[in-house]
Parts: sequence; structure tokens; C-alpha cells
Amino acid sequence: MKSTESTLVHSEASAKVMHETKASAAGKKKGLSRKAKDNLAGYLFISPWIIGFIGLTLGPLLFSLAASFTDYNITSKMNFVGFENFKRMFTMDDLFRTSLYNTLYYVVFSVPLTTAGAILLGVLLNQKVKGMKVFRTIYYLPAVLSGVAVYFLWMQLLSPSTGLVNTMLGWFGIDGPAWLFDPEWTKPALLLMKMWSVGGGMLLYLASLQGVSPQMYEAADIEGASAWQKFFHITLPMISPIIFFDVITSTIGSFQIFQEAYVMTENGSGGPGNSLLFYNLHMWNNAFEVFNMGYASAMAWLLFIIVMILTVVNMKLGKRWVHYEGGDGK
Amino acid sequence: MKRGLALILVSFLLIGLLAGCSGEQKAEAEKTKDGKVIVNFWTFWGSETRRPIIEKIIDDYNTSQDKVFVKHTFLPWGDIWTKNLASVAAGNPADVIINDINTVSQRAENKQVEDLSKYVDDSFKQQFYPHLWETVEYDGKAYAVPFNTDTRLLFYNKKAFKEAGLDPNKPPATWAELEEYAKKLDVKKGDNYERIGFYPLWGSVGASSWMTNADSGKGFIDNGKLAINTPKKVEALEWILGWKERLGENTVQAFQAEFGSEQANPFIAEKVAMWVDVGTFYTQLRDYGQDIEFGVAPIPAYQEGTGNFAEGGGFVAEVPKGAKHPKEAMDFIKYLTGVDAQKYWAVKNYDNVANKEAAEATVDELEGDDKTVYEATVKNLEQTKMFPIPVDYPDYHSRINPQVDNALLGKMSPEDALEEAEKDVSKMKK
Repeated sequence: MKSTESTLVHSEASAKVMHETKASAAGKKKGLSRKAKDNLAGYLFISPWIIGFIGLTLGPLLFSLAASFTDYNITSKMNFVGFENFKRMFTMDDLFRTSLYNTLYYVVFSVPLTTAGAILLGVLLNQKVKGMKVFRTIYYLPAVLSGVAVYFLWMQLLSPSTGLVNTMLGWFGIDGPAWLFDPEWTKPALLLMKMWSVGGGMLLYLASLQGVSPQMYEAADIEGASAWQKFFHITLPMISPIIFFDVITSTIGSFQIFQEAYVMTENGSGGPGNSLLFYNLHMWNNAFEVFNMGYASAMAWLLFIIVMILTVVNMKLGKRWVHYEGGDGK
Repeated sequence: MKRGLALILVSFLLIGLLAGCSGEQKAEAEKTKDGKVIVNFWTFWGSETRRPIIEKIIDDYNTSQDKVFVKHTFLPWGDIWTKNLASVAAGNPADVIINDINTVSQRAENKQVEDLSKYVDDSFKQQFYPHLWETVEYDGKAYAVPFNTDTRLLFYNKKAFKEAGLDPNKPPATWAELEEYAKKLDVKKGDNYERIGFYPLWGSVGASSWMTNADSGKGFIDNGKLAINTPKKVEALEWILGWKERLGENTVQAFQAEFGSEQANPFIAEKVAMWVDVGTFYTQLRDYGQDIEFGVAPIPAYQEGTGNFAEGGGFVAEVPKGAKHPKEAMDFIKYLTGVDAQKYWAVKNYDNVANKEAAEATVDELEGDDKTVYEATVKNLEQTKMFPIPVDYPDYHSRINPQVDNALLGKMSPEDALEEAEKDVSKMKK
């Protein structure tokens, strides 16, 4: 097909005009592309996110998958090494085991503790007491503060001889531990710190507690149910979807613990006796301290698999205890 | 109509996004308007004290010649290394960067820095302290130029010495003396210590320094061979444990917890009578502890005549791999590590510098206590050991430290701990 440049421009322009007239006409008569156009508009609206996701998340994600089978060192090497990195994790790297243990320890304790803490707090703050708004604000405050400032604050609170925590324990005749200086107590210290900021989770529970219909409690009252019965047979089932959501997200979040250990130990070294060497900290050290990016990528993928399996298990188990209104396990 | 408007808005958004991505490419001009080559210089010196000093040096260099213009960029400590790594990987790094002295060979091995050998001859090398120059060479090639360094001294409180009946002009010279003096300097009220004479793990010193000091200055990896589980190192750990046992775990922890802020430094607060720290610790003493009568001495030797070995660190100037103007960058590095700039840095910052002539000129320029302490640090450089991280064992510290911790916490005997550490490190050989 032969065409000069001018005709090309012309035909393009006319196509555009046609397109536009079509678009304006689409409002009146049902063109066959109405749905397609809606979809297109939708995709266009989310395109900034899609482009960001593909370019900044999916791309690097796949790259790191590829890198996990290489000896990638960021600047000069990227040779295929097969499963060498994974082999090294399980056979040679003792710190890998330490870091995995530390992380699992943290997850096992922090998830139930913070969940139970948030529910308890939510229930307490759902009582009808005068000045409740003040209490709600107070308990929510720690969730607003974040990051490094909080860690420094807690490092002072947990100071063995002058810290507020041990001073208060002293009032009851308890000789407080050395917290962040004693490998036996470093992880409990972090858990304590995490408990302080359950206010964020509390807000979710509070909202869902307020959505529980009072009629159910009235009915239970008429039947003569005790407060405990009401809590276990009405409140908990009614807020179980939120508990489920909270357990899943906080499990994932707990596996990602990094900042706390990085900030609260000297040079991000992992604390006394490596007791705060969490999985992500070990990974970070491998990636950026010794430039073993390939190995670090492999570690990242293993963590992904672990978290994935746990989430799937959670989902399966969830069906047994999560109660959704107006559906059978849906 | 509304949808049309939305579509237009979205397309604007998209165009903006794409433009934003591509706009960065040529943002940094390579030449100034008057044709000078721009050399990008990254440092982590952003503090009120350091920034004006480095920028004065840069200004001086910029006005001293008309071919190169150095542009300083401050990046926070920590961030600077990851940014550098990313920019090297992306092929668009700075031209000169200040980096850690003990990891030059690692960066050379991983091709993150340019080989500077062709710009360096013997007379250039000889300007610097040999123990510093050794760290910048890898496989016989120079990959950086040492800039500054540090060393550790024993600071002691003369007033406390007099109170305890010790000669304030005779600091302890050996470990045995250190222990003997320390016991005399302890002040105890009931069960509580009001002052502790000395504790080997406080200040800017760790178990590894004492192990090295005992082992004739030998590090954990000596000429490529592991020297972790040696009798002298075991003995050093036992010695440290002895201090802990004598003072008691609680005392040590209680004192340790108070450290941190400068005003609360236990030596300045006169709660500890002897203290090992880097030379620049003197500036804190000068600024916050005006009333303290103090003296400085080399770190006591393991036994008489075994050497007062101290551990050193520092920073180098280097050219990241793939920098656009290595020649001009090196010209600036030569100025930066030359006598004038080094002396200015040393005097203004009270810092030890790598250039020998500049260090000696600084001693001449200072007066009073400033001079006494600085002179002691310069002299101490002769007995200062650098422990650059060998490429075969890039993360050996992370294997040794937990075992040393275990020994110091009494969970393992020092011998078992070091044996374990040696085993762990040998497993990690690349």
C-alpha cells in the first residue's frame, strides 16, 4: 500500500475525529464497545499503579528469583550456580538457622500476644464509660508514633538499672533483667515493645465490635447467658473475620521484622549472642555488607515460600472458625 | 463527557509519569558553563563541624586550578554505601567517594572501584603511613588513597590517681599493672561501686582488641591463615572474664547502661578512672569535662615489651567503578590527601590523617593539651594495627562475635568458644 506522509496524517486525524464522535455518541445508543470502553477506562485509571507494579515490583521480583540461582554481587558477577545458594543455606550457614529460629520465635509469640492484646483492649474500650474517648486516644497514641524514635525511647525504658521498666519492677521487689543486653531477654524485650503499640489493631476490633448487633446480646440476656458466654458465643464469632485478617497480616508482618533489630543492636550486628539476628537482618547483611546478593535473593524467596505456606494453612484453618454473616463459609 | 475528561486526565498523568522517568538522565551536566569538568564528590560529612571543613578544602581546590570543578554531595552515613552500590550497578556513580578503609579489597574484588595504580608512584605512596597504604592495595594494585585514620589510647584520671596514692605521671604499662592500679582506683560504698578503676570492654575497645594485643598484634586472620583459637587469645578472653567476675555482672551492666550521651560519659563523669578510646575522644573531654585532670598513654602491653598494640580504622577516598572522569577525580584525590588539605582537616577536626607530613605539621601547630594528646596519637600510629577484611572471609566478624559473646556471658569456656568460632569461620571460606 502506497501512501504519502500527508495522507497518513490526514487519515490518522480523521480516525481520531471519528473516534471522538463515536465516543460522544456512545452515551445515547448502546455501541458494542460500551463494555470494552468501560474496561479500558478502568484500566487507564489503575494504569499508574499497574505500571508501577510491573516496573517497580514484579520486575525486581522476577529478577531476584533469577538472581537467587546465581552468584550475583550487584556490580560485576552474575553466573548461574544452580541450587548452590539454597544448599549453602541448609548445610553451611549456621547463622541462617539462628536467624530462622529467632524469627520463628518472634512470630510464634508476637502474633498471638498482639492479637489477644488488641482484642482485650478493644473490648475494654468498647465499654460505656464516661470519658472513653480520652482512653481510646491514649491507647491509640503509640500506634501513631513509629519507627526509630520509638526504638530509642524503648532502649531507654529498658535500660537495666535506670530504665523505667526495671524501676517499676523494683517497686514490687522484682530485680528486672538486663533486657537488651542479655541474650535470653532480648526477644521478650522486643515483644514487650510490640505489645505497647497494639492500639492500631485495637482500632479495627473496636470498629467491628461496634458493629455487633445489640439485639443478640439482648436475646442472650433473656436466655440468661453470662458475660463469658456472651463473649465467647456472640462477640468472638462476630468479630472472627477481623481476627482472621489480623492474624494473617500480623503473621506476614512479623516475619518481616528488621528495623527493630537493625536499630536496636550495635551496627545492625544481631545483638548479644546473635539473639536478635532476624531473618531479614541476616539477609540484609548478606546483600549489602558482603555483597552476596544472589544468596540474599535465595533467602528472600525461601522466606516467601514459608510465608506463603503459612498463609495458605491459615486460610484453610480459617474456614473452621471464621464466621461470616449471611453466608456459609463465604 | 465526564468520561472523556477523565480519560484526558489519566493520559496527562501517564505522560507526566513517563516524562518523570526519563527526565533524570541528563540532569547532571558534566561540565560547568566555563568548561570545567565536574567531579561529583560524595561524603557522609554533613555535621555542623565537618561540613564547613570539607567544603573549605573543596573550595580551595576549585580555586587553585581552572580545569576541574568539584561538587560536594552529602549523603547520610549508611545510606551512602547502598546508594553508591546502586549507582555503580547502574553505571552512573559519583567520581570520588569517601569509604571505609578496612573493606577496600572487598570492593576491589567485586569490581566496585577503579584501579588507581597508573596514577600512583612510589613517592606518592611514601607520603602515607605504611599500615594505611597496605589496606588500599589488593593484588598488588592500589584501589584507593587513605584519608583519615584513628587509634586508641588509654585516658586516665590524674586526680583519681593521686587520691589512690598512685603516681599521676606513671600510667600502667602492662596488663598486670592495669589490674593492680584499677583495684586501687575502685571506690566502693557498701556493695555499690561509686567509681570503677577500669573495665576492659568499655570505651572504644572490644574483646578482639585485647586478644590482638595479647597475641603480638596478630588479628583473627593473619596473612590469610586463621589465628582465632590461639593460646594467647584464649588467655585474653579469660583475663576479660576475670574482670567481670571481680566486679560482678550487675555492676558492669548498671554502669554500661548509663553510657551513651556525651555528658553522661562515665570517664567524664569521673565514674571510671581509666578509659580506652580513640584520640578524638579528647575533644569531648575538652568540651564537657573541663575540670578533669587527665593523662594519655598507649594501651598497656600484655607483658613488658610485647607491644602496646591498638586497633585502627579510618576512611579512604576512592573512585567508584565506571566513574566518568577518573583522571580528574584522581587529581582531586591527590589534593585531598596532600599536605595542605590533610593538615587543615587534622587541625580543624582534631582527627588523625593518613599523610605523615601533615600529621607531623599538625603536632607543631597545636598547643597545650591539644598538642600533647595529638602527639600521643601520632606516635601511637606506629603500634596501630589495621585489620582489613580479607576477601576470603568477608563476614568473619559475624561468626566470631556471637561465640565471643557466649564466652563472655559464661555460656562456654573461652577455649571452646574460640574453637567453635574458628570452625565456623573456616566453614565460610569462599
